[in-house]
Amino acid sequence: MKRNRLVATTVASTITLALALAACGSDDSSSDEGSSDAAVESGDLRVWLVGTDTPQDARDYLIETFESENEGSTLTIEEQAWDGLVDKLTTSLSSSDSPDVVEVGNTQASAFTSAGFFADLTEDYDALGGDDLLQGFVEAGTYDDKFYAAPYYSGARAVFYTPQIVTNEIPTTLDEYISTAKDNTTDDVSGMWWPGQDWYNALPFVWENGGFIAEQADDGTWEAGFSSEGGIKGLEQVQDLMVNASNAPADGQETDLQVPFCEGSVGYLSAPTWIKWSIVAEPDAEVPGCSDTYGSDLAAFALPGADGGAAQVFAGGSNIAVAAKSENPELAKSALEIMLSDGYQKILAGNGLIPAKVSQAEYLPDDEITQAGAAAAANSKLTPASPKWADVEAQKVLQDSFVKIAQGGDVTEIATALDEQIESILNS
Amino acid sequence: MSSTTLENPTAERSSGSQPERKKRKSPLPWFLLAPTLIVLGVLTGYPLIRLIIMSFQEYERAQLMGVPAEWVGFQNYTDILTDPDFWTVLARSFVFMIFCVFFTMLLGILIALLMLRLNKGFKLLTSIGLLLAWAMPQLATMIVFGWIFDTEYGVVNHVLTSITGNDWMGHSWLINPLSFFFVAGIAIIWQAVPFIAFTMYAGLSQVPGEVLEAAQLDGTSPFQRFRLIMVPFVRSILTVLIILSIIWDLRVFTQIFALQGVGGISEQTNTIGTYIYQVGMAQGHYGPASAIAVILVIIMMAISYYYVRQTLKEEEL
Repeated sequence: MKRNRLVATTVASTITLALALAACGSDDSSSDEGSSDAAVESGDLRVWLVGTDTPQDARDYLIETFESENEGSTLTIEEQAWDGLVDKLTTSLSSSDSPDVVEVGNTQASAFTSAGFFADLTEDYDALGGDDLLQGFVEAGTYDDKFYAAPYYSGARAVFYTPQIVTNEIPTTLDEYISTAKDNTTDDVSGMWWPGQDWYNALPFVWENGGFIAEQADDGTWEAGFSSEGGIKGLEQVQDLMVNASNAPADGQETDLQVPFCEGSVGYLSAPTWIKWSIVAEPDAEVPGCSDTYGSDLAAFALPGADGGAAQVFAGGSNIAVAAKSENPELAKSALEIMLSDGYQKILAGNGLIPAKVSQAEYLPDDEITQAGAAAAANSKLTPASPKWADVEAQKVLQDSFVKIAQGGDVTEIATALDEQIESILNS
Repeated sequence: MSSTTLENPTAERSSGSQPERKKRKSPLPWFLLAPTLIVLGVLTGYPLIRLIIMSFQEYERAQLMGVPAEWVGFQNYTDILTDPDFWTVLARSFVFMIFCVFFTMLLGILIALLMLRLNKGFKLLTSIGLLLAWAMPQLATMIVFGWIFDTEYGVVNHVLTSITGNDWMGHSWLINPLSFFFVAGIAIIWQAVPFIAFTMYAGLSQVPGEVLEAAQLDGTSPFQRFRLIMVPFVRSILTVLIILSIIWDLRVFTQIFALQGVGGISEQTNTIGTYIYQVGMAQGHYGPASAIAVILVIIMMAISYYYVRQTLKEEEL
């Protein structure tokens, strides 16, 4: 009797489990079908923004506009970290729990556009802004003549300083920049703050000396150029600065740059223009800045080139795309349209980010810092246009190499090894 | 797969030692086992089979989005086994594992012996301390250790500067691979010791007091009593703990990965866990990454073979 009941219970529980599993399965398939033929049903949208770059005003604008335009739908912004973003997007975009709209670094976009992770936006190109969009970023989001990832914003790098510490004239050439940085260096002050993992800042030195990251030959193979003549020359300047002008950790990351700056231990700080907001934050803010001390007279200039003028700098920034597995592609597209609308882009511009739409650039604030950024952006360059470039970044070969350079290693040896690694990834 | 391995011992036992049960061919055991088997099959069996399949395919990011994968035979395996990087990483993982297991076991046993001697209050205090260390999430642990060893603001550099008088500020602990693994090792051992200490304490407290007392009267030294009486009593526990520690420390991932984010050079500090992640997740080469994982599974199985055999033997007794 007792045993019979046991059997019954077991059978029942087994069946329940089986049913539950089956239910999960059928649930999935029905929602998949739903996504393909649902026109504009209401839904809950998840938008992934990366880092703190997008200002709070813009976030509020996006949520309010979206929810008033799409009655019954909600939009949630989930903030992700830049570190490890490629890995995280790869897993989440291919899962059944994919976010709907995602921001991705402009140099990372091609890893996803080339493998079908993003929805095709070719037909929406004109609706999203058409030729008013930043064309360099349109290119970064295009693969095989199809438009997958729209420009979001661009942020150039400028050199920040405070006259309380840097008392010399603003340098007009790269050589002057290096020599003044070294002159300003003491035991407590870094003439230039340069944590070893920050490889973006090294690129202008390579470019200004005639070097290159990697170029594609006619037969399609990539050749890396850190060990080219100009590359070596640039890297030697980089090492000179890292070793003789910077007290930053040789294996440090370019995070929380406002901390050393607010301690008054930094001369030049080469950073994306949005670092301004971290530095001029109130001392009792959640992420404290120093609006009362070294941030009070924050100033900036564009990194000078070898022959004067603005140096060629790395064009940072983001693209934004609709996930291929989004359950509400129509809603996601409408959110994307809001983010590229004049109203939204105007907010970005007002906060000193270079907007994705050229027409909105007039709303950039008329101050020294923004203009320094704009001057730098006018002469900016991108990383190699290969879908495999994101793998180079993800594998941290650049970070590792620049940490070794910051340690004072042999530049030619490091550059040759780095080029071999880059070539083996790009040509694999 | 799991059903066939289970069938044998059951069948042998019912036919061998207890022949009177043979006639009762009730399906009940299978019904009782069904939920477990299903869960095991879904949670363990499926991923493992998928992993093995993937290791024979060319599986990249595009395949994740539904592009059919191509079969490449043993290509992934030959690529990996001929890649010097793989062997470097494997050797590094083994050396690091031996270091960690040795100190974990040593400290764990010493703490267990200490707890045998402590009075109630201190025993409680030690237990709570151990539990807290054990309960702390690995990622949080690593953030704290990252701060402790921070180059500019770390307390270790500060203390060393004030003790030695030399200027340690700005000394990077993570940039040199040896001291990187020293820091990682401290964090891993710190968190692994509580489990060993508790289990050893449980085992050692079962050693009959009268035997120890008799040995003491016969004039044995404390070390002799430990080596000749306690260790034989807890030998099976020791074996299990060592094997588990070997497995845990060999496939360590979180601590190394988090510490690489704090500083150091990834290429020189990868262990097998982070290497699989690098190849698979970061670079998107899922085929080769699966092949490495399969090789690791085989290594683990070889290590735990002794443990499994021992367990089965004891069950038969």
